[in-house]
Amino acid sequence: MKRLAIGTVALLVLLLMAMLILAWESSIAQQDAPAEDTFSQRQIDRGEVIAGLGNCQSCHTVDPERPYAGGRAFPTPFGTLYATNITPHPESGIGRWSEAAFIRAMREGVARDGSHLFPAFPYTHFTRVRDEDLQALYAYTMTREPVDARAPENDLTFPFNIRLLQAGWKLLFFEPGVWQPDTEKSDAWNRGEYLAEGLAHCSACHTPRNTFGAENQDRDYDGAMVNNWYAPAMSAGNPPPVAWTESELYTYLREGASTYHGVALGSMADVVHQGLGIVDDSDIRALATYFSDVTGALPEDQTAAQASRRIADAQRESMAMRSNDTGELNRGEQLFSNGCAACHYNSADDPNVLRPELSLNSALNADNPVNLIRATLRGVSNESGIQGVLMPGFASWNNADLAALFAFLRATHTDHPAWNDLEQRIARQRSDVTTSTE
Amino acid sequence: MNKLFQSLLNPEVNGVPATGDNPGSASAEGHKKRPILNRRGFLIGATGAGFTLAFYRPGLSVAQPGDVVADKTFDPTIWYQLQTDGRIIVNIAEAEMGQHVGTALARIVADELEADWSRVELNHVDSDPKWGLMVTGGSWSVWQNFMPLSRAGAAGRQVLIEEGAKLLGVSPDECRARNSEVLAGGQSISYAEIVQRGDLSRTFSESELENIPVKPAAERRLIGQEALALDVPGKTNGRAMYGIDATVENMVFARPLIPPTRYGSTIQAIDDSDAKDIDGYLQTIQLNDPTGTVPGWAAVIATSFTAANKAAERIRVDWAAGDTATVSEQDILDHSLRLIEETSQGALVVDDEGVDSAFSSADSLLTQDYIAHSVLHFQLEPVNALAFQEEGRWEIHTGNQWQSLILPVLAKALDVPESQVIMRTYMLGGGFGRRLNGDYAVPAALAAKTIGRPVKMMFTREDDVRFDSIRSPAYQRLRMAFDADGQPIGMEHHATAGWPTQVMVPAFMPAATNEVKYDPFAIQGAAHWYSVGAHRLRAISNDLANDTFRPGWLRSVGSGWVNWALESFMDEAAHHVGRDPIEFRLALLKAEGKNAGSAPNAVGGAARQANVLRRVREIANWQQTMPENTGLGVATSYGQERNMPTWTACVARVRVDRETGKVNLEKLTLVTDAGTVVHPDGARAQVEGAALWGASMALHEGTLIEDGQVQARNLNTYTPLRMRDVPEIESEFIDSTELAVGLGEPATTVVGPAIANAIFAAVGVRMRDLPIRPAAVLAALQG
Amino acid sequence: MPTSFELNGRSVTLQVADDTPLLWGIREDAGLTGTKYGCGIGLCGSCTVLVNGRATRSCITPLSEVKNLAVTTIEGLHPSGEHPLQKAWIKTQTPQCGYCQSGQIMQAAAMLVDFPDPSDEQIDNIMSGNLCRCMAYVRIRKAIKLAAAEMRDDIASSPTAPETAAHE
Repeated sequence: MKRLAIGTVALLVLLLMAMLILAWESSIAQQDAPAEDTFSQRQIDRGEVIAGLGNCQSCHTVDPERPYAGGRAFPTPFGTLYATNITPHPESGIGRWSEAAFIRAMREGVARDGSHLFPAFPYTHFTRVRDEDLQALYAYTMTREPVDARAPENDLTFPFNIRLLQAGWKLLFFEPGVWQPDTEKSDAWNRGEYLAEGLAHCSACHTPRNTFGAENQDRDYDGAMVNNWYAPAMSAGNPPPVAWTESELYTYLREGASTYHGVALGSMADVVHQGLGIVDDSDIRALATYFSDVTGALPEDQTAAQASRRIADAQRESMAMRSNDTGELNRGEQLFSNGCAACHYNSADDPNVLRPELSLNSALNADNPVNLIRATLRGVSNESGIQGVLMPGFASWNNADLAALFAFLRATHTDHPAWNDLEQRIARQRSDVTTSTE
Repeated sequence: MNKLFQSLLNPEVNGVPATGDNPGSASAEGHKKRPILNRRGFLIGATGAGFTLAFYRPGLSVAQPGDVVADKTFDPTIWYQLQTDGRIIVNIAEAEMGQHVGTALARIVADELEADWSRVELNHVDSDPKWGLMVTGGSWSVWQNFMPLSRAGAAGRQVLIEEGAKLLGVSPDECRARNSEVLAGGQSISYAEIVQRGDLSRTFSESELENIPVKPAAERRLIGQEALALDVPGKTNGRAMYGIDATVENMVFARPLIPPTRYGSTIQAIDDSDAKDIDGYLQTIQLNDPTGTVPGWAAVIATSFTAANKAAERIRVDWAAGDTATVSEQDILDHSLRLIEETSQGALVVDDEGVDSAFSSADSLLTQDYIAHSVLHFQLEPVNALAFQEEGRWEIHTGNQWQSLILPVLAKALDVPESQVIMRTYMLGGGFGRRLNGDYAVPAALAAKTIGRPVKMMFTREDDVRFDSIRSPAYQRLRMAFDADGQPIGMEHHATAGWPTQVMVPAFMPAATNEVKYDPFAIQGAAHWYSVGAHRLRAISNDLANDTFRPGWLRSVGSGWVNWALESFMDEAAHHVGRDPIEFRLALLKAEGKNAGSAPNAVGGAARQANVLRRVREIANWQQTMPENTGLGVATSYGQERNMPTWTACVARVRVDRETGKVNLEKLTLVTDAGTVVHPDGARAQVEGAALWGASMALHEGTLIEDGQVQARNLNTYTPLRMRDVPEIESEFIDSTELAVGLGEPATTVVGPAIANAIFAAVGVRMRDLPIRPAAVLAALQG
Repeated sequence: MPTSFELNGRSVTLQVADDTPLLWGIREDAGLTGTKYGCGIGLCGSCTVLVNGRATRSCITPLSEVKNLAVTTIEGLHPSGEHPLQKAWIKTQTPQCGYCQSGQIMQAAAMLVDFPDPSDEQIDNIMSGNLCRCMAYVRIRKAIKLAAAEMRDDIASSPTAPETAAHE
């Protein structure tokens, strides 16, 4: 018995040692900031596009006047993480990182000093990015304006604050390795997959995570909550009211809106308008080709009829609500007619992308009403969604009125079950939204 | 307002002696404030750019018309100017609130003047006290002014012809006037030239004025013809100036902090510490109101309305609430019922002999109670006022319908003589009677006085609604006695509500047959033209309503609830005796005895009401077979006052959804006999708007008193009719050359009962509460 | 923080808090009072202006949201107030009190971009957000159709119109 105990302890110690050895990463020496002429302009320009595809700015910027200076908070189930300063500032940024250190961080999730990074930084995706793209990104990053700003210390609960444990996490959930093409698929598909699964790390938001915060491989693109927004499902198994088409995907990624799905809000607005804004059309089309496959897109001639039926159904069901003044749904119908329809009404046979059709809208069809609540309370700024078009916020409406409106829309404009506790959820978002710095 | 109101101001209009039942005793104030039009002469005096034509006041020396004109000591309600450049400027004292009153009035002058309409302009005058009484109440502007304006125009024409003849070197007999020209044979001279070269100065005595012939109806060239209302273009390009648009140098904004009860609340403490860091916030002041108009109020002062609003959200006022803080709609209605059941209460407005014996000898009786709930004005421009002192005089800039009512209150609030307060007129972003009560100008004046700086007080929508002078909830009981043949032999009508006139101008309350004073506006429309045997009409003031809120005059005032009950009841009575509702009414509109009518206003009496009823029966195709759950209902009205009847009849077509109780108003057919129609397009607009108001109040609006205040605060819960709710409307006027009467209100009063009667025709349930809610219809359908 | 934007074709900078509703910025600071306040919660439509050509309720739109955008008010719809809608409004004598009409006209102008030949159903759905307390709805509908017809005729008869337009 005693021997067994000793044996167990010895084994555990050995395991621990093995883990430590495995987990241990060397520090990479600091270097002085690279000289001005280290990088070609072409490389820097290419790096800018790479940064856009990776949407680095969205996470690493709080104040648009100080891009990449970090500090943005990411509340997680394990505590709050803060994005770091990735400007080339020698002390508070990554100014003393060599290219090798930079590439190791991107590929392996290890900082220059050898410490493990948390997977909120999506190195699980960046590991697939090719060398030349990472080199260009390094060139772009190191030629930014250095900003002296230190992000707040991460505020994680024990034991998640032990960075070393990340080694174990990596063992379980991290598959390093540069992307390889699938020769069965078209070039466009391959290009799209490379971008989506690598740099653009789409599934980091759109795939739900497991208990350990890793993307749940069995539920690829099934939709997930991120930063108090719901990143809608993109998988074929969770179809939107009207199937995607390749051209809708392209328009959405290029313009931030699609007639049959709605507008890009929250971090997706950043992705489209900041990140992808400078990306070549051919890459956007490649992404559209890839996501056509992911979402199970249909040919265009089928979706128009689908949409028309859907809109007509919603309008018919709305009319039915109108004829009864006793319920919340009737109240919602009246509020919609008087407060929303001027902008959101569409003819069933010809929905207009500038008049987002709510019966087709992903926010209304989601299991979680958070997107709808947030968009309605705060509105859609002209920089989100369709640029140059704005929707004012309706925070002046009380919670009961908004709840009635949403309940009416959900009941008449979708085939999904009613949302519960709308008033409380609105109240929560209202306090959250008003204090938000976004 | 109505003839009664008019008579209070001016008992002998158009040479018609006041009728015996007019309470002349209450009109002393009116006499003082307003000279009697036909007791005055007319003058024409030279002014800088031409000549002014106006009525002069009695007792003035008129040896020098020019002096009178220079001093403006003439009557302001009717005067116009002929300019040397040919422009004709008609001065309008009436408030413009959508009825295009200025256009209608100017066209009456211009027609008699034979003026070129394209050269006619309007000028809205201010409320300088020397202008005398200023009030624009429902529907009487045109009616009141028709003859005086016609004479004023005719006098101008006569003088222009005299002077023009001189200049042309012909006799006036050879001349006629057309289109701003005097014509004689082949010659002509323009009015502009006559004004430049001639001397039009004249004085007409009262009798001379009366002898000036007014054109026969066939000679009219503008009256009755279509014309563009002069106020319309400015309302399509943003140039029309409303009270809310008024500004003055150095002004600050004020937002009222309104106490929990209309009366009796007092401020215990004000804490503005959380507001102090708001950019633009200046201070919060308590308003000490010697007039009792806004007791317990405070005002947030800031350099912008936005800052005032932000501050108001953070300022905490601790009020000790007044006695009415817990009063509910039901409390008021319960109180009404108690008052009705105490037979000693109230004013017997009509009390024919033999009512009690008719009821005791009746073969059958019908008794029904009707309720009309609280209604908001919800004029789209929330009330507001700008107040400041300039050159020792207080200026109040605000859209208002009855300057003369609020001026003395403002003077008292400001502690200055009335002569030191002047009100400037603006367009009204909706009147509907709300702005007859100018109480909203008082807090603005108080705030400006307190801080010694110009103050623009703006009410948010929610403030406006809380402070509205609502249409009072009303409870009524109607009874009818029938003989063995089903003929009505007696009728009682008991009506209770808050009384606006009692609260705001008690001196305007006449005495009823039992000497009890009453609010004529709260019962108007009930002294009907049906011959139903002995009639008793009792009006009772609901003191709990009067204490809880300030009852308002709301488009058609009492007719709004009175005709709801009366015309619903007439329908029930018809069904009680198994008669067709129109046949039943026609049989009672006999035009005999007191219902025979009299010249000039009520020529034809009940016969004209019967006529509109027959006509509406015809064009609404009353006998048609209806689809399932669809029905036609009828209602009629003489408007508000027996001496200014506007004969109106309406048929409503509704379809009732038996599953939900929803009433779909499909069509309204209206026939109106308003005598001469001065401005047909404007008249049609008034009837359309009024009819839709009626539909809105019947099916879409209405609120309840809760905890001493109205429940609704904004459009999330108060839901007036919108574009999509508009039914098909067919509206027709009876061709008539009888005296023009008002039509801004009567159509509002017939639509509600017509809808209720149509619901009965469609599905056999009787709705007696206004507004008619689907839930109530459904409950009735389910028995 | 001051806000700059284009107002009726001219660049303006308003020196007021940028959370000030656009309505009050336009009225109090830019001095254009044709845009009206009715309810303050986006339910009456009197404050409707165009932001980059789209109808927008200015009472609930903070100034910060229109930074660098083009705002058009009733005063800027047409230089001399002769937009087909304005002409139709006059011809049909639509306004009564007139207070809501700036908003009605601006909403209608935006509607005709999306629905150049609006059906009754389309007018019902889009114009029901604009309350007319005088209930001049019958005329508002009539005026919209009149203006829409004129605007379509203008397009059809303009030399740049596609050939087919005239045959439709």
